[in-house]
Amino acid sequence: MSSTPGSRPSTTAIVGWLVAAAVLLGVAVLVALNASSVWNSFFPPQAKSVEGQEIRNLYDIVFAIAVVIFVLVEGLIIWTVVRYRRKPGDDELPPQTHGNNIAEITWVLLPTLIVLYLFVISWQTLNSVEAVDANPNLKVRAVAGQFQWSFEYLPADAKADTTAAFTITNPGGPEGGLFLPAGETTHIYLHSPDVIHAFYVPQFLFKRDVVPTGDFRERENQFDVEIPATDAGQTYRGQCAELCGVGHRIMTFEVHILAPADFTAWYDQQVAAKNATPAPAPSGTAAGPSVPLTAEGVKFDQSTLTGPATGFTIHFDNKDNGIPHDVDILDGTGKKVVDDKDFPGPGAKDYVIPPLPAGTYKYECSIHPGQMFGTLTVQ
Amino acid sequence: MATTTLTPAASAYRSGLYEWLTTTDHKKIGILYIVNSFLFFFLAGLMALGIRTELAQPGLQLFQGNELLYNQLFTMHGSVMIFLFIIPMLAGFGNYVVPLQIGAPDMAFPRINALSFWMLPLGGILLLLGFVTGGAAQAGWTSYSPLAQDRPLSSTGPGQDLWIMGLVLIGTASILGSVNFLATIFKMRAPGMTMFRMPILTWTVLVTSVLVLMATPVFTSALIMLFIDRNYGGHFFDPSTGGNAILWQNVFWFYSHPAVYVMVLPAMGMISEILPVFSRKPLFGYKAFVFATAGIGALGFSVWAHHMFTTGSVYLPFFSLMTFFIAVPTGVKMFNWIFTLFRGQLTFSTPLLFALGFLSMFLIGGINGAFSAAVPVDFALHDTYWVVSHLHYVLFGGSVFGVMAGLYYWFPKMTGRMLGEGLGKVQFVLMFIGFNLTFFPMHQLGLSGMPRRIADYASDAGWNDLNLAATIGGFTIAASTIPLLWNVFISLRAGKIAGDDPWEANTLEWATTSPPPPYNFDRLPEIRSERPLFDLRHGRSANH
Repeated sequence: MSSTPGSRPSTTAIVGWLVAAAVLLGVAVLVALNASSVWNSFFPPQAKSVEGQEIRNLYDIVFAIAVVIFVLVEGLIIWTVVRYRRKPGDDELPPQTHGNNIAEITWVLLPTLIVLYLFVISWQTLNSVEAVDANPNLKVRAVAGQFQWSFEYLPADAKADTTAAFTITNPGGPEGGLFLPAGETTHIYLHSPDVIHAFYVPQFLFKRDVVPTGDFRERENQFDVEIPATDAGQTYRGQCAELCGVGHRIMTFEVHILAPADFTAWYDQQVAAKNATPAPAPSGTAAGPSVPLTAEGVKFDQSTLTGPATGFTIHFDNKDNGIPHDVDILDGTGKKVVDDKDFPGPGAKDYVIPPLPAGTYKYECSIHPGQMFGTLTVQ
Repeated sequence: MATTTLTPAASAYRSGLYEWLTTTDHKKIGILYIVNSFLFFFLAGLMALGIRTELAQPGLQLFQGNELLYNQLFTMHGSVMIFLFIIPMLAGFGNYVVPLQIGAPDMAFPRINALSFWMLPLGGILLLLGFVTGGAAQAGWTSYSPLAQDRPLSSTGPGQDLWIMGLVLIGTASILGSVNFLATIFKMRAPGMTMFRMPILTWTVLVTSVLVLMATPVFTSALIMLFIDRNYGGHFFDPSTGGNAILWQNVFWFYSHPAVYVMVLPAMGMISEILPVFSRKPLFGYKAFVFATAGIGALGFSVWAHHMFTTGSVYLPFFSLMTFFIAVPTGVKMFNWIFTLFRGQLTFSTPLLFALGFLSMFLIGGINGAFSAAVPVDFALHDTYWVVSHLHYVLFGGSVFGVMAGLYYWFPKMTGRMLGEGLGKVQFVLMFIGFNLTFFPMHQLGLSGMPRRIADYASDAGWNDLNLAATIGGFTIAASTIPLLWNVFISLRAGKIAGDDPWEANTLEWATTSPPPPYNFDRLPEIRSERPLFDLRHGRSANH
């Protein structure tokens, strides 16, 4: 089983070549499959903000230096290992070199210069990314609560705790998410009522923690983002990047970039909608029998529900103060057949369930699917 | 003693187990540390397989309807790997090897040594008890407040409290152990063993002990404050009652960043023992290496906030500069290792293979760490899978490969028998390929925006193939432990007899029998350099 030092160079050589061949083969196959997408996978997505473009420029420099250092040092290791393997007849000791002060000084000074250079350029980029416009075109407060984003649009003279002009409560979809004007600078405040979240949009190459600060609202994080004028019409995804509990993964949101004129029209429309008299609560729409369901302590009070195939109403009572819940219905394949809108407690709502084919369904709170679910039988 | 009243047969049977339970011999305690750490390594590895299985493809499979368990698994995977595997594993090797290397008969405080070991399984059981008391800790191994507070949607239930108490015990064990190491290294060296003749492993254990002694009490205090927060309304870290959420991160990382060096410096020390032996040369730049180790230890206390660049609450340029600077002593070590190999005569036994694995993987872990030192780049990479990749290149590519190298190297001394070379090489190849297949694609996942600590991801995000590759790699790593276990099993029974010094090594532990007698040495060779056995073998001349 074991070999004495130097007696079986062939075994070790075979092992060495096997490792090298496996690694090289794997890399070669991957690269041959799709060279340009492999290359692109070593870079962040194309930056969609002015700050993100500066970060990307810095990334490219760091990446270039890293690749050069990696190739040189790893190459030196591999070359040394291959070149200085013990060969038959190597009985005399090799030269017993204990060190070399000039070499030591060299590999202290050279890396020091490289890291100082990297530090200076990253500090410069940092100053530019962190710079805040005295007169931003727009102020928005991104509110991250367990486990949903909402976006409050603020008046021009707003501070961290100013009341919103209007609020977008849906984090995604055609009418939900963060709407930003192209070609303009938006100042974003970050507010959390519960735990730490992080505002992260990969296309901005940027994230910032949403730290709860209690009564000290002026300590909340804030930053500027400037969207290039050419990006109107684009949509991309953002996501919470700091573990915030069981619903962490579902805290996604969409960013919609609108042309300035479209943005102004959208903004005015939202303000008008907010100022309009609230529509009377839908009445008389309740169809079929009413089935009660209560949410309390991030749990449903019932794990089974039964309703007629002709349609019915779920009277949903959310008793969790400040925590949004809803009741969505999924068929056997996991496809959502009823997508109800969530609302924070305390409060109650009648969800009208349309006629469904008889069978067994799953109902869940789309915000806390891990803890809040049950079985619905449609007869 | 009371045991003398036992019948001879019973006492003969009991004495084996009783001896292991009551021993104060540093060698037996070292082996207990190592065995205990491996048990937790396999346990936390199984947790990682659960995580990787869930992430193999989009959609929820394993944790459908029980995502809380997923959060508990990654929390406990991190906690167990760090606090119950890497740190105690290296402490175990230190325990076994350091007294031998400095020519001492035992640690300075043998009973405290036993006490610090026995706190570990106890702490580990406390940590894991959460799984059967309504859910283990689930706020991540970092347990950021307010998520770690006792409230709905955060960390209700006893799991988090058990996590706190377990870590307080383990931390106390670390502190006691470090005091013991310092006293042993400063006061128990054999005649002739001056500080600058100490083996590098002993030096790294010395610096590590200083780090533990300075940093762990801070963390232990923070844990107790968090316990008070959760149970007695302490309001230290809870902003809704006037506390400060970022304060936890400062005290947590003030310990947990130096802890990274606690987890990697002794592994560097092991590599620095192995590379010279298998290239038949002295370590290149011994003193530079010692100063670099001390430099890393000192700088290690000024970089903790690089884990907090996106909090908006730390002075970024300072921590960025210090983080860049710590690359310099690390680079010094890298070049010293390479120039130890340079112009040597390399024998590719399993310890050297793992040591070379350490070199090439730790290099990647150092370079991809420099990306995060550039603060704006960290804004893009922080809390994504890039960071998961980085930390595993350091702690697995570095520490675990170092531990494996050390295991193959010192197993003959501990047991008197060699581990099989063939199985060792199979293990190395599987582990090396599996490791890279798991963790290299995580660079790309992180760059394209996949956050850490999610159980599921959108199928159109472009993360499917890379996640599948990482999962295949994860199972390859798991497969690589089978030849290891089989190797240990058969070698203990029928392995080749090692003799005192199977490797033609340099340091004092190879001057005694394998395994050594209870008091280590019948007599010591003359110590006139950092390689007393080399001098004994070849004579000490100007050429050497």
